[in-house]
Amino acid sequence: MNTKMTYEVVDSAETFERMLSRVREAQKLYASYTQEQVDKIFRAAAMAANQQRIPLAKMAVEETGMGVVEDKVIKNHYAAEYIYNTYKNTKTCGVVEEDPAFGIKKIAEPIGVIAAVIPTTNPTSTAIFKTLLALKTRNGIIISPHPRAKKCTIEAAKVVLEAAVKAGAPEGLFGWIDVPSLELTNTVMREADIILATGGPGMVKAAYSSGTPALGVGAGNTPAIIDDTADVILAVNSIIHSKTFDNGMICASEQSVIVLDKVYKAVKEEFKKRGCYFLNKAETEKVRKTIIINGALNAKIVGQKAHTIAALAGVEVPETTKIIIGEVESVDISEEFAHEKLSPVLAMYKAKDFDDAIKKAEQLVADGGYGHTSSLYIHVSEKEKMAKHQAAMKTCRILVNTPSSQGGIGDLYNFKLAPSLTLGCGSWGGNSVSENVGVKHLINIKTVAERRENMLWFRVPEKVYFKKGCMPVALDELKTEYHKKKAFIVTDTFLYQNGYTKPITDKLDEMGIQYSCFWNVQPDPTLANALEGTKQIRDFEPDVIIALGGGSAMDAAKIMWVLYEHPDADFESMAMDFMDIRKRIYKFPKMGEKALFVAIPTSAGTGSEVTPFAIITDEKTGTKWPLADYELLPNMAIVDVDNMMNAPKGLTSASGIDVMTHAIEAYVSIMATQFTDGLALKAIKTVFDYLPSAYENGANDPIAREKMAEASCMAGMAFANAFLGVNHSMAHKLGAYHHLPHGIANALILTEVIRYNAADVPTKMGTFSQYQYPHAKERYVEAARFAGIQGKNDDEVFENFIKALEDLKKKIGIKKTIKDYGVDEKYFLDTLDEMVENAFNDQCTGANPRYPLMSEIKEIYLKAYYGK
Amino acid sequence: MKLEKVIAVRTSKTIYRDGKYAIKVFDENYSKADVLNEALNIARVEETGLSIPCVEEVTKIDGKWAIVTDYAEGKTLARLMEEDHEKKDKYLERFVDIQLEMHSKTAPMLNRLKDKMKRKIAQTGLDATTRYELDARLESMPKHNKLCHGDFNPTNVVISEDGEHYTILDWAHATQGNASADAARTYLLFWLSGDIEGAEKYLELFCKKSDTAKQYVQKWLPIVAASQSVKGKPEEQEFLMHWVNVVEYE
Repeated sequence: MNTKMTYEVVDSAETFERMLSRVREAQKLYASYTQEQVDKIFRAAAMAANQQRIPLAKMAVEETGMGVVEDKVIKNHYAAEYIYNTYKNTKTCGVVEEDPAFGIKKIAEPIGVIAAVIPTTNPTSTAIFKTLLALKTRNGIIISPHPRAKKCTIEAAKVVLEAAVKAGAPEGLFGWIDVPSLELTNTVMREADIILATGGPGMVKAAYSSGTPALGVGAGNTPAIIDDTADVILAVNSIIHSKTFDNGMICASEQSVIVLDKVYKAVKEEFKKRGCYFLNKAETEKVRKTIIINGALNAKIVGQKAHTIAALAGVEVPETTKIIIGEVESVDISEEFAHEKLSPVLAMYKAKDFDDAIKKAEQLVADGGYGHTSSLYIHVSEKEKMAKHQAAMKTCRILVNTPSSQGGIGDLYNFKLAPSLTLGCGSWGGNSVSENVGVKHLINIKTVAERRENMLWFRVPEKVYFKKGCMPVALDELKTEYHKKKAFIVTDTFLYQNGYTKPITDKLDEMGIQYSCFWNVQPDPTLANALEGTKQIRDFEPDVIIALGGGSAMDAAKIMWVLYEHPDADFESMAMDFMDIRKRIYKFPKMGEKALFVAIPTSAGTGSEVTPFAIITDEKTGTKWPLADYELLPNMAIVDVDNMMNAPKGLTSASGIDVMTHAIEAYVSIMATQFTDGLALKAIKTVFDYLPSAYENGANDPIAREKMAEASCMAGMAFANAFLGVNHSMAHKLGAYHHLPHGIANALILTEVIRYNAADVPTKMGTFSQYQYPHAKERYVEAARFAGIQGKNDDEVFENFIKALEDLKKKIGIKKTIKDYGVDEKYFLDTLDEMVENAFNDQCTGANPRYPLMSEIKEIYLKAYYGK
Repeated sequence: MKLEKVIAVRTSKTIYRDGKYAIKVFDENYSKADVLNEALNIARVEETGLSIPCVEEVTKIDGKWAIVTDYAEGKTLARLMEEDHEKKDKYLERFVDIQLEMHSKTAPMLNRLKDKMKRKIAQTGLDATTRYELDARLESMPKHNKLCHGDFNPTNVVISEDGEHYTILDWAHATQGNASADAARTYLLFWLSGDIEGAEKYLELFCKKSDTAKQYVQKWLPIVAASQSVKGKPEEQEFLMHWVNVVEYE
C-alpha cells in the first residue's frame, strides 16, 4: 500500500473534536472548488482506489476473516470504476440546471460533513464508494468503521484521500475513527451534517435517532421465485453466481429460493449438478442450529465458505461445495432458514402454484427484508404474473431474471439502476430513501425562482359580425361557408311572438335550411327549462344552434348546446370554482362536434354572444351553476342593432349599466391586459356618451342604439378575457336573494365597490403575478380621463368619475339604494351574512384587484342598502 | 437478632431466619454500596404496592453488613414445581402471571436497565468487535420503564401455604426498563439451571400472555448472556459465548 501521510490517531472525544474541526475547515475550503477542479479530483481518487483494489481486498479478507479476495477485488473495482463512470459528467457544483424562460435555476451546494458508517461485510468497497461520493459532492467525510474491519476501511479511505489531495483537494477533508466504539460512532453521527449509514438495523436506527438527517439503509432477506416458465439453467446458475459472490455477504443476495412445483425437480438437479449440496433432514437440523442462535445470525458463519459452515454444524460436504441448501417448508421467522444468512446457505421452498410462491415471498420479506430486494425468474412474456409479483413485493428493488447480489447494486445487469453500495429500503425498511443512494442524496439544491408572469390570452369567437342590418348577411354563411342543413333556434316567448325570429327563419327558408325552434326560455333559466329545449334539439338533431335573445336565452342555449353535445354532462364538476382557468381540475368537454353555435343578442347588456360563460339554475336545489370555459364561446356572434331598436326603457337601462359594470370591472381586474384595456376603455366612454340617449330616445336614436350594442359586445370581449370582480360577485347574490334585475343589482353597488377598490392600502390585494401593487385607483382615474372626465388632480378626477356614474344612473332612472327598490330591511339583514359569504365565494371575486374580507363585503352591502 | 436458623447460603451471602424476619448477611468484603443499593431497591419496590418482604433494618452484625426484611411464609415456586411435577405447568403459568403483574408496576427512581447492561457489557472483557455489536444492539432497544427484577426465577417467588398469595424475593438486581429484557434474563436462568424444556415453555407462555413477539425477547439474549458472563462462572462461559457471538445482519 502506498499511503504516506501521517494522521493523528482518533480514539477519544478529544482527538475526535480536533479531527472534526480539521475536516470542517478543509470542507469549507473545498466547498469553493469549481466543477472542473472537483471532477479532476474525483477522477484521480477513483483511479487510485482502482489501482489499490487488490491490496485492499486482501487486507479486508485478512482482517475480517470473511469473504473471498477475488470477489472483494470486483467490489472495489466496481466501487471505483462504476461510480466514477456514472457520475463523471454529473453536475454537482454550482448551477446544475437553468431555464431562463421559466426563470428557474438550481444550484448544488455541499451538505458539509458526512458521517459514514461502514459495515464489515463490504468494508473497503463501501469506503471507496462513500468517499468518492463525498469528493464529487464537495463534502467532507468522517468514516466510522466497524471494529472488525477498521484497518482496511481506514486504509481505503486513506488511498482515496491521498490521491484526492495530490490532485488538489484540501488536506484533512476526510477523517476516521481509529479505535471505534459506539460512543464515538454516536458522536460522529450527532456532529455530522448528514449520516450515510450502512449497517445492521441497530446501527441504522441509531443513525435515525441521532437527530442528524440520515440516509440509513437496512437489511434484506431476498426471496427468489423460480416460476415454471423460467429458464431453469439460467435461474439456478444466476442464483449460484450471486449467492457465492463474496460468500453471500451482499445484502441483496438471495436468502431463499421458492420453486414452483413443476420445475422443482429440474431446479434441484441443476443445483446439484453445479456443485450445491442438499442437506438431508438430520443435517438440515444441525445447520439450522448453527446458523441462527436465538433468532440471531451466528457471527461465525458470516462470509464463510459452505464447507466451513457445514463443518461447524458437523456436516460433511465436499470441499468445493458452492452452496448448502436446506429444503424447508415454513416461511415463519421461527424457521432458521427463513432468516438472512449472509453466507452461502440457502433455503429452498416448494410452491404449489404462483400465488403460493408470492405468499411465501411476501412472508420472507416481512421476516426481515422489508423494503430491500426481491427477485423473480420467469419467462418475460408472463406479464400478468410479473405484475402480480410487482404488486405484492414490499421491496424497493424487484429484479427479474437477475442474480440479486450483482443485480441489486446496479449497473451490472441493468444499466438504468444506479450503481451503489448503499441500497435504500424506503419507509418499509424504516429508511428515508427507497432507491440506490448516489450523489443526488448528498447535495443541497437551492432553487432560484425569478418572478415570471402568467401566459395570458385573448380569446373571442372566430367570427364577430356587427353593423345595422348585418344579420341576414352573416347568416348567409351558414349555407355558403358551413353548408348547414338543420338549424335550431332558441329564444324566449316574447321575442318569438313578436316576430323577432322571422327575419332568421325567412333567411333559413331562403337558403333551404330546415329549422325548428324552442321559444320557451324563461328569465334566469332553470335546468328543467334547458332540458325541455334539449329534448327538442335531440329529436331534431340540428347542425347549427342559433341563440336569439338577451343573456337568458343565450345562456340557456349554451347549456342546451352542452347537453346536446354531451348528454352525460356533469354540471357540478363543470361549475367547480377555479383559481386559474388554465389550471382547473375539471377538463371541459370538447364542444362543436355536433353543432355550430351562433349567438344573436337582442339587448345591449350581457355580452354573452362573445363570452365563455353561462349560468343555469338547478330548480330542485336552487343551486346556480356558473359555467365558464372557452369551449362555451359561440362560434359566431351577430350584433345587429335591428334586433334591439325597440327594447323597453327598463331593459335598456338595466342592461346598459351592466355594460358599464363589465367594462369597469374588466379594466381594473388583476387579469386586465392591453388587449382588454382598449375594449374596456372604449366601452366605458361609449356608455357614458350614448346610454342616456338610447334610454331616452330608443329607436329614435339609432346611432345611440348601435353604439350601445357595440359597447356591450366590446365589454363582453374584455371581461371574457380579463374577467370581472367583486361588484359582480355581490350583484349575483343580491339579485338572487332579493330578485333585483342583474343590471340594477350591479348599479346599486357600483360606486361603493369603486371606492372600496380604490384604497391605496387595501387589507389584501389579489394574487396574480402580473398584478404588482395595488393600483385600482390609478386605473379608475385613467378610465375617467379617457371618458372625458376632468379634474385638477387624480383625487378630483376620481370623485368626478363617481359623480358621473351617479349622474348616469340617475339619468337612466336607477334608484339610489337597495332600500329604494323595496327590499325589506329585516329580511335583508337576516340574510346578509349568508349573502356575504356566498358573494365572497363567487367565481368573480378572484379577479378583483382588492382581495375582499367578508366583513368588508358586508359593509359595502350595508352602505348600498342605506345609501351610507 | 439471632443468626441461628440458616435458610439459604449463596455466594458471598447467607440468609437467616429469626421469627418473622429474614436476615441477609453479606460477606465482609461485599461492597457497601451494593448492600445499600439493594436495601434502597427494596424500599422503592415497596412503594409500588407489589407483595415483597419489606425492609425493616439495615445493620451490621459482627462487622458484616446485613439487611433485615420480613420473612415470607410459604414455599418457593421452585420447590413447589419440584414437589409436584404434575403441576409444574400450572406453577409455570402462575410464575409468568406474577412476573407480568410485576412488569405492570413502575418505580421511577430505580436504576435504568439499559444503563446497567451498558456497564456490564463494558465489564465483559469481550473483544472490541463483539462489544461494538452488543452496544449497537443494546442502543437500538426501546427505552421502557417497567419494574424489572433482574433475577426472576422460581426460587425467588414464594407462594403462601393456602396458595392465595405470593411474595417476590431478592431485589438486588432490580431496575426499570424493558420487560422483554427481564424475560430474556429469566429464560437464560432456566437454561443455566439445566431446565431447557422449562425455558422454552416459559418463553412461549410469556410471549403469549404479554402479547410479545418471541424475537423481541430473543433480541435481548446476547445482551443478557454477556451480562451474565461478567459473573465469570467458568462452567457457563462457553455456553454464554455461543449466545453472545451473533451479528445483526448488514
